[in-house]
Amino acid sequence: MEFYYYVNIFETKGLEYLLLICFLVLFILLVRYISTPEKKK
Amino acid sequence: MNNTVVITGEFKRFIKFFRNELNPRGKWLTPFNVISIPIILLGIAILYVRFTQGLGSVTNLSQQFPWGFWIGFDVVTGVAFAGGAYVITFVVYVMRIEKYHSIVRVTVLNGLLAYIFYAGALVLDLGRPWHIVNPIIGNSFGFNSVLFLVSWHFLLYMIAEFVEFSPVIAEWAHWEKVRKFVSALTLGAVIFGITLSMLHQSGLGALFLMAKPKIHPLWYSEFIPLLFFVSSIFAGLSMIIFEGTISHKVFKNLIGEKSHYSYEEIILGLGKGAAITMFVYYFFQSLIFIHEERWTLINDFWGYWYLFEVIGFVLIPCFIFAYAVRNRSFGLIRIASVISLIGIILNRLNVSVIAFNWNAVNKYYPSWQEIIVTLMVIFSEIWVFRWIVVRMPVFSKTK
Repeated sequence: MEFYYYVNIFETKGLEYLLLICFLVLFILLVRYISTPEKKK
Repeated sequence: MNNTVVITGEFKRFIKFFRNELNPRGKWLTPFNVISIPIILLGIAILYVRFTQGLGSVTNLSQQFPWGFWIGFDVVTGVAFAGGAYVITFVVYVMRIEKYHSIVRVTVLNGLLAYIFYAGALVLDLGRPWHIVNPIIGNSFGFNSVLFLVSWHFLLYMIAEFVEFSPVIAEWAHWEKVRKFVSALTLGAVIFGITLSMLHQSGLGALFLMAKPKIHPLWYSEFIPLLFFVSSIFAGLSMIIFEGTISHKVFKNLIGEKSHYSYEEIILGLGKGAAITMFVYYFFQSLIFIHEERWTLINDFWGYWYLFEVIGFVLIPCFIFAYAVRNRSFGLIRIASVISLIGIILNRLNVSVIAFNWNAVNKYYPSWQEIIVTLMVIFSEIWVFRWIVVRMPVFSKTK
């Protein structure tokens, strides 16, 4: 019988992968943010 | 025979021209002169004592703290600030982004002077300064030493930057043939210089790899070279913004109206570059923080001090840069550049002085003489920079 078990992200370095994914998403958002100037009212 | 006569005549003309150029221009009684001259004179007097009576007579350095404020600020921080030269030459000569061409000369001059003065300040900190030539002349070569790499790179990079700047000197001296020759060398010197810069900016960080037991674990990492290299990019960009802002006020009459206008666009581009590199740097810091499980170290003075540096002087100025670029707020870009420059000073001093021997009973504090000599180095560089900018075609191509 198989059991579900939770991965310890501290030991597996899963947190680092999560950080990398967050960084990539935030990086794209940052580049888009600074590349489009604020529209004047 | 004919050639000798021509060279002798030209030499005489240049000597006469140079003596004429040595005459002071502008007012003597300016606030900068009033502050800088006494400090430079006092610094020279302190250096006389340092070279006649040894390091211990004017510094608080000891066997436990052999590297102090002179290395931490003058050399390690000063070289990071000079990083703008390799970034801008890469952007203009390799990426061919012509928008930044108008600031190449002044940035290269800044980089060259920073290396001459700040890396030159290394001589002050050597117990036996005449040994500085050892890595170059082959006396006790340390092929495996990072210091061997750094010393050779400093020398070669200074030569490369001099070659990059030499067309300006040739233009100033009206040596047309020499200008054509050295201009042809520029691209090669730029590529050589960029390679050297990338290696020795990270090499400066690599110097601290052997000090693992001495540096606080929040600042020590096997990735210090990478962090030093990435931070030198936004340090250089921030320095260009900071220095350019002052130059555009002080040397207003030397810069054309068109350049003033395009400079605003340049500042926006530099701010954008700084925001992106700071974000990447912050990511690296976060990754190392997690990778080395540093959260166990965060709940004491050193932890708060580390967060103060990384959040207060990296993440916050990164957001200020991004907001300012989007809203075309030049004032905010300048503020962000100052904050990030302070952050670089803090980071380099943390690695080399403050968090170095962090658990020692006796702490190191720089003596007043060390601070005066550092100010002397900075003011001397500004004096030479001003002398060159006023006389040579640094801001414009023709005189």
